Amino acid sequence: MTTNDHVPANEKLYLGPLATRLKGMGMTAGVVCLGAAIVWGAMLGDDMRRFMHSYLLAFTYFLSFALGGLFFVLVQHLTSSTALVAVRRLAEILTAAFPVLFVLALGIVVPLWVGNKSLYLWSDPEAVHGDHILEAKAGYLNAPFFAIRMLIYFTIWMVLSRYFLKKSVEQDTSGDPALSAKMKKVSGPAMILFALSTAWAAFDLLMSLTPHWFSTIWGVYYFAGCAISVYCLLALISFALQKSGRLTRSITVEHYHDCGKMANAFTLFWAYIGFSQFMLIWAANIPEEAVFFRPRMFTEWKWISLALIIGHFCVPFVGMMSRHVKRNPPLLALWCIYMLGVHLFDLYWIVMPAFSPEKIVIHPIDLLCVAGVGGLFLFGAVSVAGNARLLAVRDPNLKTSLRFINQ
Amino acid sequence: MDTTSQTNADATEEVFYGLVAEYDSPGALVHAAEQVRDAGYRKWDCHSPFPVHGIDPAMGIRPTILPILIFGAGITGTALAILMQWWMNAWEWQWVSSGKPYFSLPQQIPIAFEVTVLLSGFTAFFGMWALNKLPQAWHPLFKSDRFYKATTNGYFVSIEAADKKFDRAATEKLLRGAGATAIEEIRYTSSPELRKVPRPIMGFILLTSVLALVPFAFIAKWRNSHSPDPHFHIIPDMDFQAFRGPQTTSPVFADDRAARKPVAGTVARGELKDDDLFYRGLDNKQWSTRFPPQVEISEDTMERGRERFTIYCTPCHGEAAEGNGMVHQRALAVNAAATGWVQPSKLTDAGFVRQPHGQIFNTITNGIRTMPAYGPQIPEKDRWAIILYLRAIQRSRNASIDDVPEDKRPTLK
Repeated sequence: MTTNDHVPANEKLYLGPLATRLKGMGMTAGVVCLGAAIVWGAMLGDDMRRFMHSYLLAFTYFLSFALGGLFFVLVQHLTSSTALVAVRRLAEILTAAFPVLFVLALGIVVPLWVGNKSLYLWSDPEAVHGDHILEAKAGYLNAPFFAIRMLIYFTIWMVLSRYFLKKSVEQDTSGDPALSAKMKKVSGPAMILFALSTAWAAFDLLMSLTPHWFSTIWGVYYFAGCAISVYCLLALISFALQKSGRLTRSITVEHYHDCGKMANAFTLFWAYIGFSQFMLIWAANIPEEAVFFRPRMFTEWKWISLALIIGHFCVPFVGMMSRHVKRNPPLLALWCIYMLGVHLFDLYWIVMPAFSPEKIVIHPIDLLCVAGVGGLFLFGAVSVAGNARLLAVRDPNLKTSLRFINQ
Repeated sequence: MDTTSQTNADATEEVFYGLVAEYDSPGALVHAAEQVRDAGYRKWDCHSPFPVHGIDPAMGIRPTILPILIFGAGITGTALAILMQWWMNAWEWQWVSSGKPYFSLPQQIPIAFEVTVLLSGFTAFFGMWALNKLPQAWHPLFKSDRFYKATTNGYFVSIEAADKKFDRAATEKLLRGAGATAIEEIRYTSSPELRKVPRPIMGFILLTSVLALVPFAFIAKWRNSHSPDPHFHIIPDMDFQAFRGPQTTSPVFADDRAARKPVAGTVARGELKDDDLFYRGLDNKQWSTRFPPQVEISEDTMERGRERFTIYCTPCHGEAAEGNGMVHQRALAVNAAATGWVQPSKLTDAGFVRQPHGQIFNTITNGIRTMPAYGPQIPEKDRWAIILYLRAIQRSRNASIDDVPEDKRPTLK
């Protein structure tokens, strides 16, 4: 690193042998856990309904990590932000998982295509027939169009993530500042594409579980989860890498502080969006809008709703508010693990009432799916980007980022 | 604090404020600040055109308590807003809006959020001013022409002569040793004349104070006088809306009626009243002698019936349904005989006891003779509850010893 005198000397910048181990661990966890989940799901004899819902939960959970990563990369370039350039490569590595997520999306699209109707009510012709609303929506909610839309979303995400990762890695060797200018130019239209595709993907994957219902703010709600995830992940991955002796001096307490601030702010954002969605529906109280909240307010699920308000907003919002918490990396890492946990819980609250509208149902298949999809996510991200440096060493803004101080 | 100027307030005297040293970069300023801090000075400050990263620890400034104040203000705002809405809507002036309970948290969150933000924002803004001892209209450092560079590209450290550690020569040596490019003494003349607020500023304060009273003067005048002029309307299209009230005409429709009938052949949600027994008290086209299945014969229904009966029936029929309610007694008191007053029916009479439930239901619904129809006021289920309660009254008024349980009879006299 002779040309990068602002990068601290003797900094370990590569995953190195760890990449092979992570890939192996991810693949093993993916094959074993997903395999076990599929076998177990088939043994339940419910036309794979349980498995499909758990799989959707795990899939949208890890998709939110990659989408969060893409959002972070785009917003960094769009605003020429300097403070968090030191962790941008980590977000770029997260987005490298999109190809694997695309393969995993086939697990939802293919069953739909071959006529399995265990996941979405709108995919069941008997349920649609005679139902005025579903018949009217059938032009949009049908298996072929669903598959086409998924293809469009993943094309956007894979092309964008590939572009930004490639250009950023290219700059590691060439040090060409024009690459930064180029990425900034692309990031504007890319952000528009990202916003539209994320919102529509959230409509298709999650909102259509309740096909009679609609909420225009739904995409923003899912995005809030993506944003919380990525800032927590950046802090957490930084912490883990520093524990393993990598990036020990590049990433400082200031970067942790900034990630913590953003995670805390997006926690409030999540609550703000969630409440905005709820309050309008609650105030108007018309049947076709209240249908989503009915099971979540008047059955066993109301306890999960209550737990979300307290556990996903009140506790972490106050808990992560103090700067002393955010400037204490081990403590912040604990809060980040907690936030990633409640984010999963949030998606669970979205997906599972579609499977069981009255009763809270937790099954080992849920965890097997999360572990399996998570393993493959890890495998996918490390396979694509595991050889790259963990730091954008010759980004023109890196120098400022390394010296960055919160005050 | 200016300690040297206090000896004789009336005399004009020259005050030695202290030293100001200029440095050529933010880095040099931070470096100098660290040395002044380590030398143990207390009354000193740094001046730069923009916030310099790292200056706080370099100056040894303790973390501000402002965040804690803001947090406290935010919590206060949340609590205050909830309390205010509870007091306004659930206590002082109970008001149903959108069919929600008087005290209903979702309704109150937006206001609680706003008040939280408002109080936090005010505390942050005004707290920052107060903690920084602002506003200061004048400062002794303004005596130095060089110091004006502090707003463009100058970086300064000033140390007050009032500091206990201040020593003219040693302090200058310290500042120069830290890399000062220039050092100046700050002296100013203190006189009672100079400490006065300048006349234009005083005039401005007086004028605005007087002007601020004008609106209150007008309010006081309007509250105590009468005017033949009509109201003025700030938002006229809200005060005069282009909608048609009930029982009015509309030029839009051929029949001139503003109120529209339902479209022929349609039924509004919840208006399909095809259950003869429940809605009309008919059982096979005859007055029903049984209660419809929708009405549960229970303690709760009985209690509901007692409550509705007390509200709607007792004014005429009386508490015990004997036709002697307050309206009847009042009619007698104002000599009703002259107006042909007919006493309300005594519902405990055998004729009413024998009447089928359905017939009584019909009477409540549509009225009879001078009794008006209560159908529009009392929902069906409540009408049935009233009948249930009336049956209990009738039975208690025509009771015999056989109605008393065997084991309770000895307690009767």
